[in-house]
Amino acid sequence: MATANGSTVIGESILINGNLQGDEDLTVRGRVEGTVTLTRTLVVEPTGVVKAEVQVKNCIIAGVVIGNVTASESVEITKEGRMVGDISAPRVIIVDGASFRGRVDMGEVDVSAAERGERPAARALARPATRPALAARPARTLAKEEASAEAASPAAPRPPAPPPSFGMGALKRKVVVKRK
Amino acid sequence: MAALDKPAAPRSGANTVIGSSIVIDGEISGDEDLIIEGTVKGKIALRQSLYVENSGVIEADIETANVEVSGQVTGNIAATDKVELKADCKVVGDIRAPRILIADGAAFKGNVDMEMGVRAPSPRGK
Repeated sequence: MATANGSTVIGESILINGNLQGDEDLTVRGRVEGTVTLTRTLVVEPTGVVKAEVQVKNCIIAGVVIGNVTASESVEITKEGRMVGDISAPRVIIVDGASFRGRVDMGEVDVSAAERGERPAARALARPATRPALAARPARTLAKEEASAEAASPAAPRPPAPPPSFGMGALKRKVVVKRK
Repeated sequence: MAALDKPAAPRSGANTVIGSSIVIDGEISGDEDLIIEGTVKGKIALRQSLYVENSGVIEADIETANVEVSGQVTGNIAATDKVELKADCKVVGDIRAPRILIADGAAFKGNVDMEMGVRAPSPRGK
């Protein structure tokens, strides 16, 4: 009422230990331990530390996150961001300088289509913003190594995707079995 | 802090705000002002001021320097400085603080202790 709706901030000296849930954006500059469940965006600022199971729509990590993050839309680890844990989100962005240890699960990745060099047009259009930053460096090196424009061009938009996603998919299946 | 008078004025000085749709079940501690517009269950321990806004609902024991309640609080409040119950607030629990202010229109049920452990003989006592 007093302040604009949709702005929750956890200040630098604040520690929250327990469960936190809500329907608005949350900015963490202090510490949050436990679980965080939001229907909107979690922003962990450089001074922020989140040691929690996180379930959100979007997550931007510029601070420290220890725990698994499940996002219905995207997870982005910025250059100041540090994270240990597993990420499950359809869009995962890890920029240069970010520190991350854990598994990444982007859901169903059509490996066979990628191997054939066929990229679903809809998907390429749907994720224009995420790919360039990710693909910029690997694409250049790949093009240099292969020196073949024909081979490089279909793979260029997301060159590292097929082998790791295949491996992670296998790993994920294994872990799921283990948990049961 | 400049404006501590009107609950409608946003307290821009404080940088921790628990928004109206947020529910926290657990413990909050810290060294800065805290504004609560949402729901907190558990425990709150601060060295500064706590503001419970109109939409705020607290089911927790509170330990702070200052408390200003415009919303609902169920739980015991212990403040080292001041507790202020504004009009329209609803408070159930015991309050312990050297200064306690209850405004006209406030709903309160519980004990009040302004002595803060100082067992000096009060005029009505012995």
